[in-house]
Amino acid sequence: MTSQTIALFRYLMLGIISRRLFVLLAVLLLTAVLSGSFIQQLAIINSGAIVGAFIADLLRYSLALLALLMVASAVAEDFESSQFERLLTMPLARWQYIAAQFMVIACLCLLLVLPVLLLVSLYSGPVIGIYWAAALWLELMLISLLGLLAILSLEKIPLAVFFTLAIYLLAKLSGLISEMLAQSVYLSDGSAASRALEIFFSVILYVIPGNSSFAQNDVFFEAANLFTALASQFLSVAVYALFLLAVCLVDFYRKEFDH
Amino acid sequence: MRRSERPMLSLPRPLLLAFVLLLVAQAVHHHFARVRLDTSYRRLSPPFSAQIYRGMALGSEQLFGYLLAIRLQLHDNQVGRHFSYQLIDYRLLIDWLDTITEISPGTEYPLLLASRVYTSTGDPAQLRQILGFIERRFDDDPQLHWRRLAEASVIAKHKLGDLDLALRLARKLARQPASVDMPRWARDFEFLLLAELNELESAIAIIQALLQTESVNDPDERRFLQEKLSELRQKLFESRQVPAK
Repeated sequence: MTSQTIALFRYLMLGIISRRLFVLLAVLLLTAVLSGSFIQQLAIINSGAIVGAFIADLLRYSLALLALLMVASAVAEDFESSQFERLLTMPLARWQYIAAQFMVIACLCLLLVLPVLLLVSLYSGPVIGIYWAAALWLELMLISLLGLLAILSLEKIPLAVFFTLAIYLLAKLSGLISEMLAQSVYLSDGSAASRALEIFFSVILYVIPGNSSFAQNDVFFEAANLFTALASQFLSVAVYALFLLAVCLVDFYRKEFDH
Repeated sequence: MRRSERPMLSLPRPLLLAFVLLLVAQAVHHHFARVRLDTSYRRLSPPFSAQIYRGMALGSEQLFGYLLAIRLQLHDNQVGRHFSYQLIDYRLLIDWLDTITEISPGTEYPLLLASRVYTSTGDPAQLRQILGFIERRFDDDPQLHWRRLAEASVIAKHKLGDLDLALRLARKLARQPASVDMPRWARDFEFLLLAELNELESAIAIIQALLQTESVNDPDERRFLQEKLSELRQKLFESRQVPAK
């Protein structure tokens, strides 16, 4: 069983790497370095920290999009080429496909994060570099798993990407939403509509990842306990990733494929 | 040997007339070009609330605050031209600086922009506004901002010519509790102001003190101050050479 899963993982991983992954990665790194140099010229003070943080955040969002597109397009291609129907004729369980995809996502995120480790270490020192690489790996894992769930459920790349980005944005704004909900207690007119809206957003906040699931960019500017931040992020991501995998399995087992 | 010249009135009348007309045309063109340039300046828009920017920062508030500060710093450079600081609405500018301070508390950048960049204005009213901002924001974190208040004090004395304001700012520095770690000279700043030093001498004394007491840790700022020190020494040297000629 394990060897079948690993064989499937190798096959899927080769598919991802053949999508000009390294060329795209090189372009993104070059863009980050060039725009970082531009910012460095403009900053009057603290330019080291500003550039480090800027490059880190630029790479965070561009790599998140790249990972999401890679995962979504690979699975969408499996749908289009009736790959699932072929796989199901083999002695493979459905969970093995999800397990193989999980390993692909973990390796893809590792590949994306390694140059970030080198670049951020170069600008902000090895300690921050290691923290950012580990935290970014966790964040990319989370987004890629969300993307996997979205593409398995929706089967179309634009829909899956839009859905994942919407959840990602909502999660990133969760702090602001919580604050708005807290303020709305004082501002609410007490109507059923406003209460329903408050309840809706409160429920949404329970099923999306919180702020602690993401890499903290403020570490570039202020002293922080990086180990605690990373441990807290790991716990949040681990719980949410397992939840996402469970939803993926439920959704994938419910799907009907023509044999 | 200097060649002798014919009197102006002996020149052909059409040539004289053309000369005067073209001179007037050049002056009129220059005047309207300046007016056009002034009107092509894109004014500062009012900032949103700090809370909105915090939301837009998606968790990177410190970085976002710095990027907004850099954007503000570039405002006086538009379409490849540098516009006079007097064109900037200092009320809006201070709103921006306040908003940036609220987005990323603990940052020195807005006060640094205020004391090093926006005090370059030649308008005394704008200068008072920006010095008021520095004085007000100093209270947020005296440990972080004492250098900015010292700079504001020098500017109040030499640029604004308001010794009372300068002394008020210096006394504010002196009144800080012992827990605020700053060098002795900063607490005795009032005496430096009262000494008969000119603007260049005062600035050199402060920069030297800042560099010698290791109060400035940021390498960019140290480099900036060292360059400024060389520039001020050169200016002081030149100003002392002039009467000797």
